[in-house]
Amino acid sequence: MEAILKRNRLGQWITELQERAEIYAPDFVEDTWEFAKVGRGATVELNHSNTVRPAKRFVFPQREVLYRFRIENSQSPKLTDTEPKVESTVVFGVRPCDGRAMVRNDRVFTCGFSDPYYQARHDNVVFVGLACNAPPSQNCFCVSVGGSPHSEDGLDVLMTELDGRYHVKALTDKGSDIVRSAGDLFQDVKAADMDDVGNAHAIALEYSQRSISSMEAVAAALRRNFDSPIWDKLARACIGCGACTYLCPSCHCFDINDEVTNKSPLTGARVRTWDNCQFPDFTMHSSGHNPREDTGARLRQRICHKLLYFVETHNMQQCTGCGRCITHCPVGIDIVKIANVMEEGVWQ
Amino acid sequence: MIPVEDIRARAKDLLQSGKVRAVLGYRRSTAGLLAEPAFMTTADETAALVLDPTCVGNLALYLVNEKKRMKHARQSDKRPLGIVAKGCDSRAITVLLQENHIRRDEVIVLGVSCETGGMIDTRKLNKALRGKGATSAHFEGEGGVRVSYVGGGTILPGKDVLADRCLECAKSYPLDADFFFGEKVDERPYGPRFAAVSAIAEKGSEERSAFWDAHFERCIRCYACRAVCPMCYCDECVVDSTNFIVGPTTSADEKADRVRWINRSATPSENAMYHMVRAMHLAGRCIDCGECERVCPVNIPLRLLNTMLEREALEMFQYTPGIDAEQPSLISSFRDGDPNDFVR
Amino acid sequence: MQDAAAAKHDAQEFEPKVVAFLCKWCSSAGSDLAGVSRLKYPANAVPIQVMCSGSVSPIYILSAFNKGADGVLVSGCHPGDCHYLKGNYYARRRIFLVQKLLQFIGVEPDRFRMSWVSAAEGVKYAEVITDFVNDLKALGPQTKLKAKR
Repeated sequence: MEAILKRNRLGQWITELQERAEIYAPDFVEDTWEFAKVGRGATVELNHSNTVRPAKRFVFPQREVLYRFRIENSQSPKLTDTEPKVESTVVFGVRPCDGRAMVRNDRVFTCGFSDPYYQARHDNVVFVGLACNAPPSQNCFCVSVGGSPHSEDGLDVLMTELDGRYHVKALTDKGSDIVRSAGDLFQDVKAADMDDVGNAHAIALEYSQRSISSMEAVAAALRRNFDSPIWDKLARACIGCGACTYLCPSCHCFDINDEVTNKSPLTGARVRTWDNCQFPDFTMHSSGHNPREDTGARLRQRICHKLLYFVETHNMQQCTGCGRCITHCPVGIDIVKIANVMEEGVWQ
Repeated sequence: MIPVEDIRARAKDLLQSGKVRAVLGYRRSTAGLLAEPAFMTTADETAALVLDPTCVGNLALYLVNEKKRMKHARQSDKRPLGIVAKGCDSRAITVLLQENHIRRDEVIVLGVSCETGGMIDTRKLNKALRGKGATSAHFEGEGGVRVSYVGGGTILPGKDVLADRCLECAKSYPLDADFFFGEKVDERPYGPRFAAVSAIAEKGSEERSAFWDAHFERCIRCYACRAVCPMCYCDECVVDSTNFIVGPTTSADEKADRVRWINRSATPSENAMYHMVRAMHLAGRCIDCGECERVCPVNIPLRLLNTMLEREALEMFQYTPGIDAEQPSLISSFRDGDPNDFVR
Repeated sequence: MQDAAAAKHDAQEFEPKVVAFLCKWCSSAGSDLAGVSRLKYPANAVPIQVMCSGSVSPIYILSAFNKGADGVLVSGCHPGDCHYLKGNYYARRRIFLVQKLLQFIGVEPDRFRMSWVSAAEGVKYAEVITDFVNDLKALGPQTKLKAKR
């Protein structure tokens, strides 16, 4: 289902959707772009660079309470389910790289076993994508990892900005639903509109991006170089923070902790929080042994998980080329450069 | 203006003569405008060394990290490390010396003066350029910064693009250097010290409370602030979920009984706890390199917490960190005349 | 008129929780003296005996707020009287900074207090607690640093 929305009607569409859902859109908060809740009557201008934090938190929040527990007088514990009751949510301005990352997250959380917390959130959120007419970050490389500035994967709707109007394409039932519900705001698509869409998409592809020439060659090189000393060299500057992974749209590792609120009776919650392979305690064994002891081994894990292991198990890179880990690395560690160094084998 | 060739020549000489095992400096990065840390071990590599307003990082951090690394290294090279250090970076080295974390003979300081310049703040620069991505930045004398971007270039006044910490810098050159480059400039054309923290301190309590609530709520606990700080060198941090002093002989009971001061959940209260503990732990130690604030992906103005305590230390205890490796630290010393009125 | 009465009623209802870190050698003994002297003072304070006010880490204070304290008191020996000679001087400097930091992030100044109470000052201990609890009642519950779970 495709339609045309005049630019000045975007606000009206959002207002109508606010009757039934919470709306999020990129907003410039504290000098950074963030998905923020759109207040009633607030204007949304979809002219953002890539948001600092990706859209994954709408399906996989940083903290999720799995259940609450209470143990009284040495009886068996009483558990309370806390499966999230999620408000209907529509997220505007999701870049195609974040959409493609959602496909990867689905693989992890819903294939084989469906994670009820993830699923409950996923069922209630609609991702409205915005095609990139120009790269929204200087470190974009979506094309190299099989994506495109107008990829539809993982999105429910894809909007493409044209002159004074948006081409709106619903990709799923959830997507069709939010377009149909405000049907009178939209116009039919004419042949000229389709030409404009084609042009916009073609121009977007012509912008130069960071590039990796062959992902197969990179994967093969990573497989060969597991024990290479290059990792220590590449990670020499790594400070061991978790910015790269926490900001990644497809990183999905988590930790589970009990948060005790009362000692007697013992009450508390079992909580799932994001975890991060770049932290030293991620692989810490209870014996005190740490198999990934240094930053070299941890950097290798991050790169190999994205570009090798995930390919082996799911036949796709886990990286979607948003460039956040490069832009926000405090010391300039660059996955594109690392991939290229690997492929060319220049250090040997 | 320091000719970069001078520093390259010195680094090359140190490496060729075998006096150092490596030189830590800056080189261009593929990731963006800011220079990245360079670990130069051969004389050839020094050709890539750069020095300009994009060399924001505090390399003193790597003295700490290298020490940890050397503990696990199979063979240890005992030669010192050469390090390019700005005024603030050298103060960090002085604090590390003061705390006996490193020895003076483990490091050869190539001190560089920022003179009337400083380091750029990319957020300010992006604002000044209205979204045009800068490709290079150089000093242009009299505190101006010449910036190039795709399809043009411009000269911006330093006060518009330099980091707050540089505008408020009290000593823009190293006090303790083995080799010194540049001029010692004491009169700088910028704003008063503690300008940023004063602006917040003057607000009412409720406004300040709301200000920090909003910021702490956005923290994702990536710990970039902690990781980048040369003073955050504890082997074990209160926020970590496992215990680094756990060994093969630690019993299950001991592990279970470990106090959990701060939960892993990135909730406002836990985030506030984390940042306050960190601020307290840096009282009298923070030398205002501003790295915590720079690396924060969500722009929490962390430097304010540290400079607030720095200001109190200066005004109430006449204490300045990082100027003298022999002075007793702020927290491990006292005077009879310390403030007493606040005690009932 | 009615509002004021209601507010007064609420203030009476709210019983603040105070965590008091008391030096074993002075303030803790002072609190015992207040008890055996049958002095009347509010029962809101949970005393935690520490070896010295200088042994109170800032994280104890922050953690008390995090776990729901409405006010925190650190009480030690008068300057010059420390059992360990200078622990209270270190404490004074450190607590001063903690107080400034708490105020800077917007915690009301009255929620955190330090006092010098000797083993002979049972009356002063009762006064300190009474004043503190009254001030906290006016402020209401502490929510800023309290963990929401």
